[in-house]
Amino acid sequence: MDFNIITPVTVKELLGTMKKFQKKKFRFGAGCTDLLMELKRNPEENLTVINLSRVKDPLFTGIKKSAAGFRFGAMLTAHKIMVNEEIRNNFKVLHEAAESLASTQIRQVATVGGNVCTASPSGDMACALVALEADCEILGITGKKGMVPITGFFTGVRKTVLKKNELLCGIFVPAKNKKSKNIYSGFVKIGTRQSMECSVVSLAYHIQADAGGKIIHAGVAIGSSAPTIRFAEDAAHYLVGKKFENISVNERKEFAARVLTYATPIDDLRATAWYRKEVLFNISKAIFENDAKNSR
Amino acid sequence: MKKNLKVIGKPIPKHDARSRITGEAVYGHDIVLPHMLHGVILRTEHPSAIIESIDVSAAKKLPGVVCVITADDVDVNNISYKRDHPILKKNEVNCIRDEIAAVAAETKEIARQALKLIKVKYKIRKGIYDPHEALKKDAPQINKFIGGKFSNKNIAETFHYEHGNLAEEKKKSAVTITRRFTLPRVTHACMATSNITAHYTKTDKKLLLYSSTQVPFLYQRDMAHALKMNPSDIRIIQPVIGGGFGSKLDMYPFEPICALLSIKTGRPVQILYSREEEFIASPTRQPMIIDLTVGADAKGNFTFREINIIKDNGAYTSWGATTPFVIMQAFSSLYKIPACCFDAMAVYTNNVFAGSFRGYGNPQATFALERMIDLLADELGMGKAEIRLLNANEKGEVTGQGLHYETCGHKECLETVIAKSHFKKKKSPEKSGRYKRGIGLASMLHVGGGAKIYRSDGCGTTVKIDPYGFCTVITGSTEIGQGSETVLAMMAAEELGIDLNKIKIINTDTDVKPWDVGVHASRTSFVAGNSLLGAIKILKEKLNKKAAQLLNTNDSYFDYENGNIYLQNTNGGEPANAKKNSVLKKNSEIPDSSFVKLDKVVREMHFGEPNELAIASYFYEPSSKFQDKTFKGNVSGTYAFASQSIEVEVDTYTGNVKVLDIYVAQDVGKVLNPLLLDGQIEGGILQGVGYALSEELLVKEGRILNPNFHNYKMLTAADIPNIHFYPVETNDKQGPYGAKGVGEAPLIPTAAAIANAVCNALAIELLDLPVTPEKILKALAEKEKLKKQTV
Repeated sequence: MDFNIITPVTVKELLGTMKKFQKKKFRFGAGCTDLLMELKRNPEENLTVINLSRVKDPLFTGIKKSAAGFRFGAMLTAHKIMVNEEIRNNFKVLHEAAESLASTQIRQVATVGGNVCTASPSGDMACALVALEADCEILGITGKKGMVPITGFFTGVRKTVLKKNELLCGIFVPAKNKKSKNIYSGFVKIGTRQSMECSVVSLAYHIQADAGGKIIHAGVAIGSSAPTIRFAEDAAHYLVGKKFENISVNERKEFAARVLTYATPIDDLRATAWYRKEVLFNISKAIFENDAKNSR
Repeated sequence: MKKNLKVIGKPIPKHDARSRITGEAVYGHDIVLPHMLHGVILRTEHPSAIIESIDVSAAKKLPGVVCVITADDVDVNNISYKRDHPILKKNEVNCIRDEIAAVAAETKEIARQALKLIKVKYKIRKGIYDPHEALKKDAPQINKFIGGKFSNKNIAETFHYEHGNLAEEKKKSAVTITRRFTLPRVTHACMATSNITAHYTKTDKKLLLYSSTQVPFLYQRDMAHALKMNPSDIRIIQPVIGGGFGSKLDMYPFEPICALLSIKTGRPVQILYSREEEFIASPTRQPMIIDLTVGADAKGNFTFREINIIKDNGAYTSWGATTPFVIMQAFSSLYKIPACCFDAMAVYTNNVFAGSFRGYGNPQATFALERMIDLLADELGMGKAEIRLLNANEKGEVTGQGLHYETCGHKECLETVIAKSHFKKKKSPEKSGRYKRGIGLASMLHVGGGAKIYRSDGCGTTVKIDPYGFCTVITGSTEIGQGSETVLAMMAAEELGIDLNKIKIINTDTDVKPWDVGVHASRTSFVAGNSLLGAIKILKEKLNKKAAQLLNTNDSYFDYENGNIYLQNTNGGEPANAKKNSVLKKNSEIPDSSFVKLDKVVREMHFGEPNELAIASYFYEPSSKFQDKTFKGNVSGTYAFASQSIEVEVDTYTGNVKVLDIYVAQDVGKVLNPLLLDGQIEGGILQGVGYALSEELLVKEGRILNPNFHNYKMLTAADIPNIHFYPVETNDKQGPYGAKGVGEAPLIPTAAAIANAVCNALAIELLDLPVTPEKILKALAEKEKLKKQTV
């Protein structure tokens, strides 16, 4: 593993570096927790890593709350996401996903942007953000910014819509529906270990209900079940109009079955496709059971 | 030995804890020698192939490459327990670890680059990866170096053992159960990867090795045999060892390869494994298939055990092939067994070879045996605690194999964990709901006072005291993180009555330390401890003589405390024996007193006539006996017992098992240091939980599929369950202060108890490890299917 490293400290320097390297091989490094493993596995010759960890700009590291929603920089670490009170109170699914990521040590450096851009089907925070229907804020080499819905961001295993002259600078999570009074939000990660684990299958849900408990909006995403994290739109839609507390056993199964239609899992070292489907069905219906949150 | 212990039994932290935590400790990876080269090994691309040609010419030309060797460049002997393992492979490869060439270069990067330039032409063969396939008549011979000794060309080793009248006991049996158990490959995954630094000096033709071996003196001999050298021309220095767990009991090819690179270049050479290489090329626990038949009479008394084991030996034979020594002990002697018939064979395959691993076959045996006891209890309609208590071993018992239990805490261990875990209350799991709880029991028996397998099971110690009152203990034993340095220092401090910080332990250099068979078989505290106490006893006789002279007494009883030597008060009452002293006082230079400072005594010995050193040596050989040809005999100085009761909660939606509480009672003889003991218990248990639930080195057609921590599910600190430990002190008179070996025991019954608990929770039958979530969901699905069919 041998590469050059360039460390811009301002956005201007960053854009300049990107321009300089348009015709050369480069990779962005945020927390580098995935990148180093990847480069160790598949070393690339004449590679430059553009190290983003020193870019001190609110564009990359800030957190901003507005009426429309919540915007945070792509360079926020999993630890910062985890300890943020606003996120914990409003988007529990993201808080839990950050908390379940790797280990205390790795959470200090691993970033939310890195988790999204790695585009792994097992990305924890990425899965939560899909359930939250977040938008990805993309910075172009000219300094121009654009927004892409996260559901359209992933194009395959470790593939995204990002072009060579673009990078992810922030994430926008839309605010809750104004009528939303009760939020049922959580991240279920299934794996063997309590830490340093990559999910065998994961489920993120963020369900908003009105004062009467009637579901007015739902976001459901599944991880490690398909080439990309999938937004289980049909399953989410199925919930709208139902009362969360009154969802019957048969409705739970119908919901789980609908979630499962988005899953095209594979057999790999960690589990068989059969196991993944079985568990995904079980944990989907368990959202509506009292003891669902005791799951590991 | 002293009765009122001041140091022994106290929770004293490991003396090397600070240096290990701060990074001050010098591990093999930290060694840098002047002009040192970096060695790397080219391994085969295929687990079974003919080597048609090896071309190293391009690699040799690469600037910075100093030496490239293949089998043709060296004159060496085969290595391994059976001498069936060539250091560098020449005509064929039989295992994915096989070493074909090695490079020494100025930097690691150059060395690795050179590997890519070596061209090997292979003719790929269809390998044999299933021991049953290897036993077929038309199977090709895998290892050509031995053969003909056994009934089949692919058998590497066999064991047969029996006692009692099997036919008669079978007749007595009201219940007989037969099952097949399958045990996986797991690996040690030591924190420090394999490492060695070799330094051959051409002027004196001597070889210095910085090696993490657990058996320095056997290693020295093996290395000399491999390299055709005189053992005494090889000096082994052990740097701080980052984990052993049995993995460093054998010498592996990378070690003589490193020596050869140094011999060829005349420069120091270092080989460090990457983590991936560690997973691929270091040994594993033996995978095995255990066919077990057991019986019990109507009252639940065990009648017999009949065992047939096939071990996947891999392509070469390590010490691991001898694990049946331990396995048969568990089957012949854990619980009272009137008859036992045991057969085991190690079968060559093209898989990676296993080595020795903490527990040495015992976790596998105990899993099968203890799972079977639960099945027997179910069949008999008996309680799982009751059947175990009925058959538990007892003090004074001489087992069918000839193991003599002079002390035995088996029953007490069982009773303790049964009571503390409320086993009897918890044994009926709830019928419905997502989460199901269950509880399981298991016991174990292991050697607790060494194991006489090698020609000697002894350990030598030299103790000296300097003129300043500091003591140096030069012990043959080895520290692999278990805390032996601390425990030995505590013993010396206890016996000599000096501060712990005045004790120095020297234990890393074969040119300095006396002989010891090595660190294994949970033997170090027992054997090295007894050896140290023996040396101190001799030293004290010398010190006593001088002290008596200085105190002007004919008495020969002294107490060593606070850096002083006190004339012992044999009548009780005042410590000082002033009256006697005053009567005997002749030399006016000696103060009228009942004690003298230890350092003064030493100075008087050194500098006063007849000018003597305060030094003594002792070699301790345990009272154990070699087993005879039928494997009978009292093989260890003492035996350790333990029981665990484990409560689990199974998530029936995911198959995940949460280990809630582990109740452990272990017959440790005597607690020497409760803090270190807790460490052994907790570490062992977590290793056992991993063996039970998550760890497996996945191998397909001879290739390792998960050579990384990402997919090899070794558990972490976050997975440690609640551990409730109850030491049982049986005070074995053979042990130092009554202590027995403790190191291996904690992991041995854990997998069995967890599997029993899961089966208890779900009413399913599990016969394989690890108990993965997937296996659990499959078993539940099967159960559901059967239920539907029967309805």
